[in-house]
Amino acid sequence: MDNLFVDSLSKSFILGRAPEEQPFRMRQIVNTARRWVGRGPADDAPKGRREFWALKDVSFRVQPGTVLGIIGANGAGKSTLLKIIARVLTPTGGRVVGVGRCISLLELGAGFDPDLSARDNIIMNAAMNGVPKSEVMRRFDAIMEFAETGEFLDTALKHYSSGMYLRLAFSCAINMDPQILLADEILAVGDVAFQERCLQRVKDEAARGLTVLFVSHDMEAITRVCARVIWLNRGAVFRDGDPEEVVDEYQNAIWETADLATAERGRHVNRFGRILSVALVAESGNEIGAAPTDQRCAVRIRVETFIKETITQCAMDLYAGNVWLLRARADKSRRVDPGLYDVYFRIPSDFLAQTTYTVSVSLTLRRKNDERDYPLVMYKALKFMAYTGEGTVERTSKRTALLAPRLNWDIEPFAVRTEADSGQASDGNTSDAAADTTLAADPATKAQP
Amino acid sequence: MFTDVKRWFMWGRTEQSGASQYKWVIEPVGEGFVARVKEFWRYRRILWFLSVQQIKGSYQGYSLGIGWLFLRPLLPILISTFIFGNLLNVPSDGLPYFLFFLAGQASWHVFERSLLMVTRSLYQGQGMLKKVYFPRIMAPISSMAISVVWFGTFTGLLILAAFYYLFKDGVWYLRLGPQLLIAPLCVVASLVLSLGIGLFTSVLQLRFREMRYTLRYFTRFWSYLTPVIYPMSLVPPEHRWIIYINPMAPLVETFKWSLFGVGSFPVIPLLSALAVIAVVLLAGIWYFSRMEASAVDRM
Repeated sequence: MDNLFVDSLSKSFILGRAPEEQPFRMRQIVNTARRWVGRGPADDAPKGRREFWALKDVSFRVQPGTVLGIIGANGAGKSTLLKIIARVLTPTGGRVVGVGRCISLLELGAGFDPDLSARDNIIMNAAMNGVPKSEVMRRFDAIMEFAETGEFLDTALKHYSSGMYLRLAFSCAINMDPQILLADEILAVGDVAFQERCLQRVKDEAARGLTVLFVSHDMEAITRVCARVIWLNRGAVFRDGDPEEVVDEYQNAIWETADLATAERGRHVNRFGRILSVALVAESGNEIGAAPTDQRCAVRIRVETFIKETITQCAMDLYAGNVWLLRARADKSRRVDPGLYDVYFRIPSDFLAQTTYTVSVSLTLRRKNDERDYPLVMYKALKFMAYTGEGTVERTSKRTALLAPRLNWDIEPFAVRTEADSGQASDGNTSDAAADTTLAADPATKAQP
Repeated sequence: MFTDVKRWFMWGRTEQSGASQYKWVIEPVGEGFVARVKEFWRYRRILWFLSVQQIKGSYQGYSLGIGWLFLRPLLPILISTFIFGNLLNVPSDGLPYFLFFLAGQASWHVFERSLLMVTRSLYQGQGMLKKVYFPRIMAPISSMAISVVWFGTFTGLLILAAFYYLFKDGVWYLRLGPQLLIAPLCVVASLVLSLGIGLFTSVLQLRFREMRYTLRYFTRFWSYLTPVIYPMSLVPPEHRWIIYINPMAPLVETFKWSLFGVGSFPVIPLLSALAVIAVVLLAGIWYFSRMEASAVDRM
């Protein structure tokens, strides 16, 4: 049996001012007068007034014990959906049928009154959610224990930090024994420890039959907690299904649109030279669109320089999604004469993971005897996918890390090492890595599992 | 496993045992009147809670404490007494002007403040109304709670003033008797009127921010149409009906009559005022329930 059923739910808002809200204009009065006389414009409805459909025909069913993730860009209708289910907003069409107590955490809070103490707020919140006072008193300790704000029990909420406020709100909501919990961005302001406890608690409660509608922009949390994900796009359900698939698709899509939206792509040209193109090339030198992770490839930057003896220094930034993975720098600067040049950043095999990367390149040009640098930058110059070819070790999870370098490893019998031994061992590793790659990657980034 | 059993057991012991499985439906069209009333009853604790908070919140952090409570209405009344009573010699049905004006203010001021509070209620409660659901109409209703305190303050002032005149002039002006019970009823009626009007203005306040200031401006004129600073006896009998069209006039007049036995007990104007109040209240409820959804959209 479902315990939440959303049936072709729609919600429209009227944008712009209603006629009666328009500031008084002489022309309106004149027009009204002319209408009375019998000739005049039929209607002077203000311009720019239109309907905006925040939700359009959204339908889904949720079974008890499901954590349903809701993702989508800002303004996709996620919060509106939750507000309607929480009864704060009234739908324009469709209906929602739910079973059991529904508790909401909207807009970072449970509707607390900042002037009241935590104690009073908990009691009031319970009353709003139809929980009798006797029951709240019984749960009081559990609420305070989870929120970890016990010593501020009688402090007015306005003195709480936003994190404490959220803790209290979440703890209060989850301890009210709801059947349905509407959680809008509950992870936004908590610290990492609390986020973990939050997610764990949500999982535990879901195992006992709690239905959670979980809105978040934290895709990692979504894939971890949710059993199912709905992707809302412009007020409609765009995808509904397995969290990993939907999230992956969503992330790729945002990345593409974000790419298009980047108007500022940096400075491509100055008086010393310009960046002509950035491409991904295979070992053979052919341009390729996607990189097989088990083969070597390179990022080729085609540059033109204009002035004799320009001192050139290059760098390349590699991003996955919005994570800045690494910065690769050329090991030394070169002196070049006017002409066309190709700069290659070679990417070793077994280094990339199966995901989408973006490359930004920068070129620092300097004249001899001139202290100043003249940078050329091309943000998001190149975007490419990496894919695992044959012969790659199967990973257990479908989700990948952002980098998957093959590191040298060894297995040895345990022995107590002396300091000299360990020093030697690490030296060996470093030289190995240097020999393997031409990239000067930050070792911390590379060491990701 | 054990906690689960315990939990269900505890649920079973509360009166809400059925509540864990009750079914609810959200639809664009609001529920009928009866359903709304039932819902209102279910949420009655919120009303009480909001009302208590309203009162607590208003007097929190006042350093003069209870003294301020009395001082705030008293000072303007003393000033007005000096101007109207001493300088202009406005008649006061044989009462000391201060006492007369205090009684008038008691009934008028409670109404006026209540109207302004109700008007502000939705605007002020936005934070909560946007986050949790409870019957919206509870926001304006609970905002009237503070009026109870004001009325209590005025009652205290009236009693103090009566004793003051007893010791000063040796005259006991208050007329003790069953008719004294009519006075609070008049105040209740005026509060209902303020709610009726406030149900309109509180919704409009969300659209027009100047609503409250306009209203304040307007109530000043309204108070002059009400026998607060002057007695009804000052108005020629053939013109009294003009004043009595205003539903507040008979209420204030009756209030003073029941306290001091001065003036008249205006039966017909009072009945017409009650009818007007009932109509305004019903219209207000109708308007409010029609507009509340779009009002929340606007927040």
